[in-house]
Amino acid sequence: MPNNVTSTSPARASGWLSISVAKGQQWLRRSGIGGQLFSLVIVMGIFAIGTKGKYLSWPNLQVILSLTAIPAIIAIGLHQVVVLGGIDLSVEGIVALCVVFVGFLAHNKFNSNDVGLWIVPITAGIGGLAGVINGLLNTKLKIPSFISTLGMSWVLWGLAVFVSKGQTTPLLDNPLSGFVNGYVLGIPDLALVAIVLFMAIQLIQDRTRFGRYLYAIGGDEVLASQAGVKVDRTKIIVFGIAGVFYGLSALFLAVRLDSAQAITGNNLLFPAVTAVAVGGVALTGGIGGAKNAALGALVITALNEGLILLNVNPYAQEAVNGVVLVTAVALTIDRKKLGFIK
Amino acid sequence: MLELRRITKSYPGVVALDGVDFTVYENEIVGLVGENGAGKSTLMKILIGLIQPDEGSYTLRRKLVALRDPASATRLGVGMVFQDGSLVPNLSIMENLFLCHELSFRKFGFLSKRAMQEAAYSILALVKVETDLDTPIADTTPEVRQMVEIARLLWLARLYNQRNPILILDEPTTVLTENERQTLFSILSEIKSQASIVLISHRLQEIVENSDRIVILKDGKNVTELEADRASIPDVEQMMVGRRFAADRYHEDEQVEPGDKTALRVQNLSKRGVFEPIDFSVRRGEIVSLVGLVGSGKEAVCRCITGLEKPDSGSIALGGKKLAWGSPSETVRSGIGHIPIDRRSEGLALGMTVAENVNLLVLDRFKVAGLISPSREKRNAMHWIEECRIKSPSSWTMCANLSGGNQQKTVIAKWLSSQIEFLVLDHPTRGVDVGARDEIYRLIRKLTHDGIAMIIMCDTLEEDIGLCSRMLIMKDGRLVREISCPRFKKPSPSEIIGSIV
Repeated sequence: MPNNVTSTSPARASGWLSISVAKGQQWLRRSGIGGQLFSLVIVMGIFAIGTKGKYLSWPNLQVILSLTAIPAIIAIGLHQVVVLGGIDLSVEGIVALCVVFVGFLAHNKFNSNDVGLWIVPITAGIGGLAGVINGLLNTKLKIPSFISTLGMSWVLWGLAVFVSKGQTTPLLDNPLSGFVNGYVLGIPDLALVAIVLFMAIQLIQDRTRFGRYLYAIGGDEVLASQAGVKVDRTKIIVFGIAGVFYGLSALFLAVRLDSAQAITGNNLLFPAVTAVAVGGVALTGGIGGAKNAALGALVITALNEGLILLNVNPYAQEAVNGVVLVTAVALTIDRKKLGFIK
Repeated sequence: MLELRRITKSYPGVVALDGVDFTVYENEIVGLVGENGAGKSTLMKILIGLIQPDEGSYTLRRKLVALRDPASATRLGVGMVFQDGSLVPNLSIMENLFLCHELSFRKFGFLSKRAMQEAAYSILALVKVETDLDTPIADTTPEVRQMVEIARLLWLARLYNQRNPILILDEPTTVLTENERQTLFSILSEIKSQASIVLISHRLQEIVENSDRIVILKDGKNVTELEADRASIPDVEQMMVGRRFAADRYHEDEQVEPGDKTALRVQNLSKRGVFEPIDFSVRRGEIVSLVGLVGSGKEAVCRCITGLEKPDSGSIALGGKKLAWGSPSETVRSGIGHIPIDRRSEGLALGMTVAENVNLLVLDRFKVAGLISPSREKRNAMHWIEECRIKSPSSWTMCANLSGGNQQKTVIAKWLSSQIEFLVLDHPTRGVDVGARDEIYRLIRKLTHDGIAMIIMCDTLEEDIGLCSRMLIMKDGRLVREISCPRFKKPSPSEIIGSIV
C-alpha cells in the first residue's frame, strides 16, 4: 500500500489514544471512524469523572454493552439502506409485527402453539419478507424509500395491533431466555450476537462484489447501473437484510421482556437513525459501513447510560438525543455534494 | 476492424441517421466531427450497443454482430469514455477500475485485494498514472479520471481476450488544461499501437492534429472522409456546417466603438494571496477581455465582480453606484449578469422549461394584480426565444433536453430579457458547436449595440482578440498590460502571448 502518512486532524486528535503509531493513524484516517472513537472516549471520560469512576465499573460497562446490542443490530441493518442513499423508517412496524408473531407462535399463555427454536428463522423470515416488500415498493413501483417505508411501518403496526387485538401475550419458559439474558466471559450474549453480525456485514462490505455494488449505487446510481451493477436486486437484498435484523431484534426484545405486545416496537427508530448518523454514515449515501453503525450505537447508548447514572431528567435526556442527532449530521455531512437541501 | 454499413435510425419525427457508413481500422485514431444534432452521439450509442439501429449492418473483426446492450459491446472490446465521466465518485480508483468485473479476483469466496492491486498497477502504467489506488475518484483530477476510464476499457478488452479494442472518447479535452491535453494525446498515440481510437471533439484543431482520418457527419448523413494531414480547419468547418464562414468570424464589422460613459469601475480591488490591488473601468458597449493563465487571478476578479467571492479591499461601482461585496443577489439586482462556465450546474435550472428560465429574473414584470400573468409570461418567452434563435421544440421544453449551444443561448436570453447593464461572460462558447458559436458571437455583438458592457474570458486567445475591444492581461495576480483591439486592426496572438507567460 502506498504510504502518505502525514497525519490530519482526526488521526492526531486520537493520537493520545495510545495509537500513536503511524500505521495506526493511517488506518484511523482511512477507516472513517476516528472521530467516532474520539467522541466515545470523550463521552466516557466525562461520565467517568462525573460519577467518580462508577461509570467505568465493570457492572456498568456490562449494562452499556447489553443496552447497546439491540440498537446496534437494528442500526447495522438500517445503515445499509442509508449507504444506498435511501432511508428505512419501517423499523417500528416490522418489529411490532414480528413481536406479535412471537407471542402467537412461541409457547405462551393464550394458545397451545410452541414452535420451539423454529421461532428464530420464523421471525427473521417475517422481518426479511417485510424488508423485501419495502425493497419492491422502492424499486419496482419507484416510490421513494422515505415514503414507502414510512407507509409500511404504519401498515405493519396496524396489522400487528389488529391481529393481537392490542393485548399483551405473556411467554412461557422460552428456550431462548437463558441465552438472551446470559453472558459469556462476562460479555452479554446479545452483545456478542451484535458483534458477529457487525463483523459479517463488514466483511461483506469490504470483500465481496455485493459490497462493492452497495457503495457504487450509493455513490451514483445512474453510473452504477451503466457500469452493469444490478441496482434493483442489490436494493431489495439490502432492504431484506435490514428486515431480517429487525425481526431478530424483535425476537430478542420479546424474550427479554418475557411477553409479546405490539408496542415493543415503539421508540426504536429514533435511536437507530441517530446511531447511523452519529457513526458517520453519510445520509447522502455511499459513505460509512457496519463499523460506523455499530460504533454509533455504542456512542449514543454510552451517552444515555451516563445521563441515567447522573439522574438527569428523562425529558432532558430526550432533548439531548435530539441535539446529538442534529449535531452529528451537521458535523459529518459533506455539503459540497449537495446542490441544495431538501 | 469495425465496419458499419448503411446505418439508419429514426425517432418519431426525426431521422437521426440516414444510411451512414463508418469504418474503424486497426491502430488508428479516427476523428468524428459534426454539428450538434448531426448524429454523432446516435452513431456512438449504436457502436456501444446502447441503442439498436433500424437498418444497417455492424461488422466487427469480419463477423456480423448484433449488440443488445453496452455489456455485449464490452465483451467484444468496444467501449466509450463519456463526456461527463462514468466513474462512481465515492469509490476508489481501484474499485472503479474493476467495478462489475470483480469476480475474476475472487479467492475462497472473497475478493483478493492484492491481486486487484497488482492488476491495477500494471494497467495504470499503460496510461502513465502513478497514484494511490485507494484515493476516492471524487478527490482526483479530471485528467486522472479520464485515464482511469481509458485504462478500464483496455483492461476489459484484455479480460475478454480482445485484441485491438476500440475506444471511443467523447469530448475528452473539455475538462483538461492545455498541458493535460498534450499529455492525453501523447498517451493516445502510444495506445494506438494496441487499440483503435474514435475521437469526438468540438475543437477541430485537435482533431486535425491528432487523428489519422476524419469522418464528417451532417444532418445524419455522411458528408465525406479525409486524411487528416490533408485537412485544413476551414475546409472541415465548411463541410460540417454546409456553408463557409465569413473571414470575419467574430463579426468584427459589428464591433461597437465604446461610448464615453463608464459602465463599470473597479478601484483598488484586491484579495490577499489571489490578486493584488487592481484598477480598471469598462465603458458602455465595450467588451473587455481578461486574459491570463490559470492562477493569474482573472477568475477571482470576475467572481468578485459577480459577488460570488468577497474581496479584501476596494470598490466596484456600476454606473457610479457602489456595489455591495460578496452578494450575488445584490449584484444581479443592480444590473450585473453572469454567464458561468458551467451552464449546466450554475447557469440554468435544467429541470425547468425554456420559458421559465428565460423569465426567471423578470417575473415581477408580468404581474397583474399581484399574480403572475401566464399570457404575458408566454409572450416575453416567445419573444426572446425568437430573438436569440433558441432551437427548441416549444417554449415548454425542459432545458435539460436542449443541446449545449441552445442551453447557452437560453442563458443569454435570460439576461437579455432582464435589463442588465453589465455582463460577465465566462467561456461562453465552451462545448458549443461551430454553428451555435457563430450565433453566440452575433448575440454578444447585439448586446453591445444595446450599450451593455462586458468582461469576457474565452477558450482561446484568438477568440479573446476577435471579440474584445480592449484586452487586460493578468499575470501572478497583477494587471501587467493593456492592449487595445480596435476593429480591423487586431493585434496578432504572437504579439500578446509573451506578456501572458
